[in-house]
Amino acid sequence: MEKENTITEYNFTGTSRLVLLIGMGLGVVCMILSFFLDGGVEHHARFWSNFLHNSVFFTGIALMATFFIAVCITAWAGWYTIFKRVWEAFSQFLIVGFILMLIIGIGIYLHWHHLYHWADQTILNPENEEVYDAILHGKSAFLNTTWYVIIGGLIVLVWVFFAYKLRALSLDEDQNGGDANFSHHRSMRWYAAAFLPIAGFSSAAMIWLWIMSVDSHWYSTLFAWYTGASWFVSMIALTILVLVYLKNRGYFANVSAEHFHDLGKFMFAFSIFWTYLWFSQYMLIWYANVGEETTYFKQRIDHYPVLFYGNLIINFIVPFFVLMRNDTKRKYGTLVFVSIVLLLGHWWDFFLMLKPGILHTAHEAAGMTGEHGGFTPGFTIPGLLEIGTMLGFLSLFLFVAFSVLSRSSLVAKNDPFLEESLHHHV
Amino acid sequence: MSSVVSKIREPLITGHKSYHDITEDLVSPTEKVPGPSWVIAFIVSVSVLAFGLFCIAWTIWHGIGTWNLNRTIGWGWDITNFVWWIGIGHAGTLISAILLLFRQKWRTGVNRAAEAMTIFAVICAALFPGIHVGRAWVVFYFFPYPNTRGPLWPNFDSPLLWDLFAISTYFTVSLLFWYTGLVPDFATVRDRAKGFRKKIYNTLSFGWTGSAKHWQRWESLSLILAGIATPLVLSVHTIVSFDFATSVIPGWHTTIFPPYFVAGAIFSGFAMVLTLMIITRKVLNLQDYITIEHIESMNKVILVTGTIVGVAYLTELFIAWYSQYPYEQFAFFNRALGPYWWSYFGMMFCNVVTPQFFWVKKFRRNVALTFFLSIIVNIGMWFERFVIIATTLARDYLPSSWSFYVPTWVEIGIFLGTMGLFFTFYLIFVRVAPVVAIAEVKSILKSSGDQYLGPNAIHHEHSGHDKVIMDPIHSDEISDEHHGHGDAPSDTPGSPADIGTEQAVKTGKDVKGETKVSNTYVPSSRKEGSEKDDLKKIEGIGPKIEEVLNNSAIMTYIDLVNTDVGRLNAILENAGSNFRQHDPSTWSAQAKLAAEGRWEELKKWQDELDGGKTKK
Repeated sequence: MEKENTITEYNFTGTSRLVLLIGMGLGVVCMILSFFLDGGVEHHARFWSNFLHNSVFFTGIALMATFFIAVCITAWAGWYTIFKRVWEAFSQFLIVGFILMLIIGIGIYLHWHHLYHWADQTILNPENEEVYDAILHGKSAFLNTTWYVIIGGLIVLVWVFFAYKLRALSLDEDQNGGDANFSHHRSMRWYAAAFLPIAGFSSAAMIWLWIMSVDSHWYSTLFAWYTGASWFVSMIALTILVLVYLKNRGYFANVSAEHFHDLGKFMFAFSIFWTYLWFSQYMLIWYANVGEETTYFKQRIDHYPVLFYGNLIINFIVPFFVLMRNDTKRKYGTLVFVSIVLLLGHWWDFFLMLKPGILHTAHEAAGMTGEHGGFTPGFTIPGLLEIGTMLGFLSLFLFVAFSVLSRSSLVAKNDPFLEESLHHHV
Repeated sequence: MSSVVSKIREPLITGHKSYHDITEDLVSPTEKVPGPSWVIAFIVSVSVLAFGLFCIAWTIWHGIGTWNLNRTIGWGWDITNFVWWIGIGHAGTLISAILLLFRQKWRTGVNRAAEAMTIFAVICAALFPGIHVGRAWVVFYFFPYPNTRGPLWPNFDSPLLWDLFAISTYFTVSLLFWYTGLVPDFATVRDRAKGFRKKIYNTLSFGWTGSAKHWQRWESLSLILAGIATPLVLSVHTIVSFDFATSVIPGWHTTIFPPYFVAGAIFSGFAMVLTLMIITRKVLNLQDYITIEHIESMNKVILVTGTIVGVAYLTELFIAWYSQYPYEQFAFFNRALGPYWWSYFGMMFCNVVTPQFFWVKKFRRNVALTFFLSIIVNIGMWFERFVIIATTLARDYLPSSWSFYVPTWVEIGIFLGTMGLFFTFYLIFVRVAPVVAIAEVKSILKSSGDQYLGPNAIHHEHSGHDKVIMDPIHSDEISDEHHGHGDAPSDTPGSPADIGTEQAVKTGKDVKGETKVSNTYVPSSRKEGSEKDDLKKIEGIGPKIEEVLNNSAIMTYIDLVNTDVGRLNAILENAGSNFRQHDPSTWSAQAKLAAEGRWEELKKWQDELDGGKTKK
């Protein structure tokens, strides 16, 4: 059946575990340091904002892996079948993501942090005339801890269920599949199709709660799709990196330049799509010039110019010009380079989405008013501690993904599209 | 494209077609005298178009006051219709370009008609900005021109100008794309034509010879155009949405507009493709090329884009509340519960609720329901634009200037006129060009024809490979010669082999053996031994015709069920002049009853029939 004999079991070796454990250890050390070295910002905002930033980023990658499996199943796509186990492994990180986001939610209840301005009960009370915030009071039917912790938690659990179910069906197909009616695939199609609208609606709600509400007054209808595109590009970039690594270790011998070419095309196309959404959001807000909306960009351009312009250069200029040619999508060198840049680039994008709002909230909470420019470690640009924390979370993500990957066959041998995927030709 | 096709997929070409059958079936509508249904449709379309032209002339002569637009509602039916038509003009290039890049084989059955539709829809759309200015003679204000209005070229600030560029670019590229695809097919038509007709098609096909060099250039041009067209599909409706979203009108200014307009445009475009293709496949007997599988795929696109649009509607509604911006909140309150509440509910119902039927496979494969819903969707998308434009304008910031708007007969007449224009163009198109892309359909025959794939395929176990082998037919020289080189569209019109087949069929004399007419059709009887049914039980078939059919390898009722009317006509025609008068239109339905053993029903029906024909 196979084109080449290939190793079908992934062995998560002691060395790999050790490297990833060291990475996680580095992350823990950086987080402990950031807990104390917070540059004078109250409520350990540097630690908590890093925690939120990385949790959201990697949970989103897992969500997008689940989502894209569902898309491919629904669209009867065949090309990805030989490496679908990698996405299935990514998707299982949602369980960890649930725990991470739960910690932040509990933190709201217990006042461990002050990431969200709306969580402050004093400003919602009209009797506190000094600080009363009518807008946030109006939004409080959505922006509240019940939505964040209980409903949000349930939504993530629904994602976890679908991620688990799609993988379980795929694994069961290995053992009991291959019948003439393709009953496993039929069943997967059912779950995949059901997941698409659920993910479509619920991801928007979670993005508003987790990310957009950091700038608690600001709103943009496009924001959820923009963030989703950012997650998606990161997911593809990480997939390429993991596949190249595994291929170098001798696994996935049948994953060829053809498959990388298609992954590269997705990375290229969705980088442009991300830019399209970035531009649409920015241009419309700039053109209409409504104060409530422009404040978001004004704050970022004035106080975070490196992040703001860097975001565009990293996430648009680089992939656009490097991946434009056909051959750069088929060569490891260029593909790995762009994948690393984009993974960091979209992490950078989330940094820019979250940090200015959190810093603003922290300043407000500390009673500071008016303009507050200047350099704040861990906020103005990502510092070494932020990068260390990110490496820690990345190690955690890979540790979970590789553990999952090692528990099953690398080849979905009874998938009806496996032959198509083995003979894939762009 | 991968040469391996999973068994789980369904065939996209049915009826065990050979390459010659494809040419025959797809070119013949341009060669025959149009039937009465075409003539009636054409007369109706041209009449409606004439009325539309009259209304346009009326508008220009008497001025824009003949419309019911007023100071508050400056855009009404005109821009609603403009956006509606532009939206419809999205599916064609999406199918051609994006589905080409995604290697979706089912696009080949519908891309040609969808591209044509795109071009006609864009022409209809472009009319409205031209006439809504009222004073048609100053329409050059659309274009940027230097100096008379100061040194700043002020209209570059306006999204309306960007629109002009976006749409004209889109139109140009779509036209090129469409025409590029037509070139080899025009050559196929030419090769069968005679006299002046041959000269015309020779010019239209740019002297295409079908050499390898031609195909190579043709393929790279197609890919380049696909690459250019993909961002254009996004850009056009994005810029149309900018017309609204760059303003500060509550309900217009919202950042989700660009992608949501694009999704809505694809949604309405696919609905219109479905409407047209369901009629076309029926009238031109193209059910073997535009199969239920095609319809189901398009219904899935309808479901996806309809749901995306639904997510966008609810996002807008939610964020309007979330923003705590009273004007924004009022705009949505007004849409749902204001004087035009019915159009908001029409939009929600038609665009979000009705596509949900397509979750059920049975409904996705139901042609009548699909046809009905495709029209409902386009009504819904019209409502959407009306909601966005007129409803929003009717209630602006100043309650003293609130207003209400109903169109005049002139505005309605112009809209109807664009319908007439659209259908006039489309009806001409089906007469002069192959409505399904011949070369592209041929390119997928070996991977998606039903003799290779699906329940009717002939399976071979070969060297341990558990897959459908690519050449189960008894490889006559013709298909070997044509397709020795993979599955590129190498069935070059005008190649010696092709002409050879045409002659063989035309003269009928060279037809030796039993498989010449349908040289790739392997009937079930041949697969399973020498089973043979008494075809004379079918009213209209006598012993002579039975012999003819048997010679064409139609031995059993099942074979007859699987043979479409066009094919039967061709068989009869080739059998000589005596057979031509027979009408085989009910044969396969009769054979179905016979095959299922429902003799009582067959008897009853045959009593009503007149020599196998439906009584008139």
